[in-house]
Amino acid sequence: MSKELVRRENTSAYLFLLPSLIFFVGFVVIPMVICIGYSFTDANMNSKTNPTTFVAFQNFIQLWQDKTFLGALKNTFLIVLVSVPTVCLFSLWVGSAIYKLKGPVLSTFRCIFYLPVVTGSVAVTVVWKWMYDNYTGILNYVLSRTGIIENNINWLGDERFALWCIILILFTTSVGQPIVLYVSALGNVDHSLVEAAQVDGATNSQVFWKIKWPQMMPTTLYILVITTINSFQCFALIQLLTSGGSGTNTVMYYIYYTAFKMTEQVGHFGYANAMGVILAIFIGILSAIQFRLAKEK
Amino acid sequence: MKKMKKILALVLALTMVLALSACGSQPAPTPAPADTPAPAATPAPAEPPADDNTGADEPTENVADAITVWVYPVGGWGDEAKVKPLIDKFTADTGITVNMEWLAYADGDDKVNAALTGGNAPDVIMEGPERLVANWGVNGHMVDLADMIDDTDREEILPAALEAGTTADGKVYLYPMFNVAHCMAVNYTAVKEAGAEEYIDLETRTWTVEQFDKTVEALYNKYGGTVAAVYCAGQGGDQGTRELIRNRYGTKLTNAEHTAYTWNTPEVINALTDLKNMPGIDFDASLAGGDEIAKFYQGVLKMAFCWNAAQQLDPNQAGTGEGKTLSGDEIVYMCFPTQEGKDPEEGSGVWGLGSFDTGDEARIAAAKVFIKYMCDSEHCSEAGDISNFFSCRSMAEGVEIKSSNPLLVEYYSKMMPYMGEYYQITTGWAGARTEWWNMLQRVGAGDDIATTVATYEANANAAANAG
Repeated sequence: MSKELVRRENTSAYLFLLPSLIFFVGFVVIPMVICIGYSFTDANMNSKTNPTTFVAFQNFIQLWQDKTFLGALKNTFLIVLVSVPTVCLFSLWVGSAIYKLKGPVLSTFRCIFYLPVVTGSVAVTVVWKWMYDNYTGILNYVLSRTGIIENNINWLGDERFALWCIILILFTTSVGQPIVLYVSALGNVDHSLVEAAQVDGATNSQVFWKIKWPQMMPTTLYILVITTINSFQCFALIQLLTSGGSGTNTVMYYIYYTAFKMTEQVGHFGYANAMGVILAIFIGILSAIQFRLAKEK
Repeated sequence: MKKMKKILALVLALTMVLALSACGSQPAPTPAPADTPAPAATPAPAEPPADDNTGADEPTENVADAITVWVYPVGGWGDEAKVKPLIDKFTADTGITVNMEWLAYADGDDKVNAALTGGNAPDVIMEGPERLVANWGVNGHMVDLADMIDDTDREEILPAALEAGTTADGKVYLYPMFNVAHCMAVNYTAVKEAGAEEYIDLETRTWTVEQFDKTVEALYNKYGGTVAAVYCAGQGGDQGTRELIRNRYGTKLTNAEHTAYTWNTPEVINALTDLKNMPGIDFDASLAGGDEIAKFYQGVLKMAFCWNAAQQLDPNQAGTGEGKTLSGDEIVYMCFPTQEGKDPEEGSGVWGLGSFDTGDEARIAAAKVFIKYMCDSEHCSEAGDISNFFSCRSMAEGVEIKSSNPLLVEYYSKMMPYMGEYYQITTGWAGARTEWWNMLQRVGAGDDIATTVATYEANANAAANAG
């Protein structure tokens, strides 16, 4: 290919990329840079009375002494550690169970599992809130009527249950997309390889783990990364259900709370940005590990 | 070269991951304001008000022809249908178009704070002194309205309300509009069925701690479950739990100067201990004030601690008749219980209008015209009626201001004498509110009460001093 042709192709490719790039730079890269910059300051809403000053690493040092932040970080990791494997395993199981189904039956299952994803998170959360209701919720009604519990359980008001209730909702809203992706990935597995393995006497389990699973690795990696990020950034459920109470505070909620609720505090923007930077670092590290492990496989 | 490509690929991959982490989250829900009405019909070009009753004292020549007004759902002011006729009248009288926007308490602060940060603050806002004075005012975001208040106004406006809207150095960031004494409510039908009506004094609406406890006991014996909830899912309606607890043994939660929190007292600890050990009272971390009202209205709870005149007029804002639950049970409002011989101190609610310092003199002038019209003109009676609360002034420009609603007249005579001081302007109030409901959650979870109270009071003071 001539240099001129390469140059022209590159130019047209970059021009096609340009619109996305403008949005990406404007709404992702620049805010990220600003966020990092602010994390080294005591920026706050009341700059008229409290001008912003550079505080170096003070916000980051303070974070590791902040019991609320450490509690939120612990909860966030718990959510990630529980929800990521369960979402991946459950969606893999459902995907492999339904991908061979044909036509409307497959579509029905896809719809059922995808419904919580396309339904607004507020609507889903409100319905769950009704179900979890301490006084009139269906969960307590069923459990007490069947004699499983004697007294109503305050699902969202008792710290023994609240975080697990939120993880359950997160699970139901997270499995839809992975299931659809796994169904698609399983459908795209090279069938000749499967047949060859079967001819050679491979069991169903061997066919799955030795033939299908390696071909699904890119999909699995994508699911792992996306689910990890979404779990790290669990926010809407917390805000709508518990406001971070009952032992459900997460880093994302604490960022929001510090930035927009604690406006009387000097440096609240800077402190919240420092938390954002820490969260992004954790997500980056975990994602890098996942990339690495997937590559080794 | 190959190595460079690898490094480049790694950098790009990490950038993508960070970018995904920035945009990959489930979007935070932004509950829409209750209603976002269309701007009022285009009026004639703005002119200075024709007479003193509708405009600022000395209208400037440069008055903007449109302003933006943000309103928290304060009583009936949360209902667009009730407010719109008055706003239309204002536009017709002054030629100033009003772009009204209704905020929700759930995310109203976020919206205002984001607007302030982005330089898009509204011209006028309606809320209480804890936001307008103690937060946005002292932090330099509000216009000083002292020039709008003359000696006559000072005579006509309730001194406590004017004081709440004024800073220690005399700046007025809130023009008082209406006020109310927060109280509690009982399901009187249920009380009668439980045979406990002897403890309810319908004449005075006051009761002792002993009478309250016996009523709870009777209701618990009759209905079981939760009679009343010390709700603590968030800060919404927290005045109810504060007044319940501080009135039980009679104490203050802040110092007299409103510079520090003083709730680590035997009175508060004993009150919490009593309530924690009382069958029928639950510390419920799944309910906030609004949820409690809904449960009371549904008949699930037999008492509500988050109550006031507006709730009594229209329980749960359901439009099913004043003083009635969903099933038609009779609701009776009551003072918070106190020790024998001690007067209750009901929670003080004051609301009014403030103007954000947008830096645009014409808009500030128009904002003052709006504030004058609503707070100090013949229309201030109508503005008060909309709220279902009580006007903060007795007269306005020679017109007597008083409510004609019999329920409000009765409520005024029975409750308002017990209205306590407005202490919500204490430094670091937003942080202290969080500490309060978190403290209640810990008490409800079974933590040692004395230690918990000490810890959370210290947190509140630390936050106040840091701010």
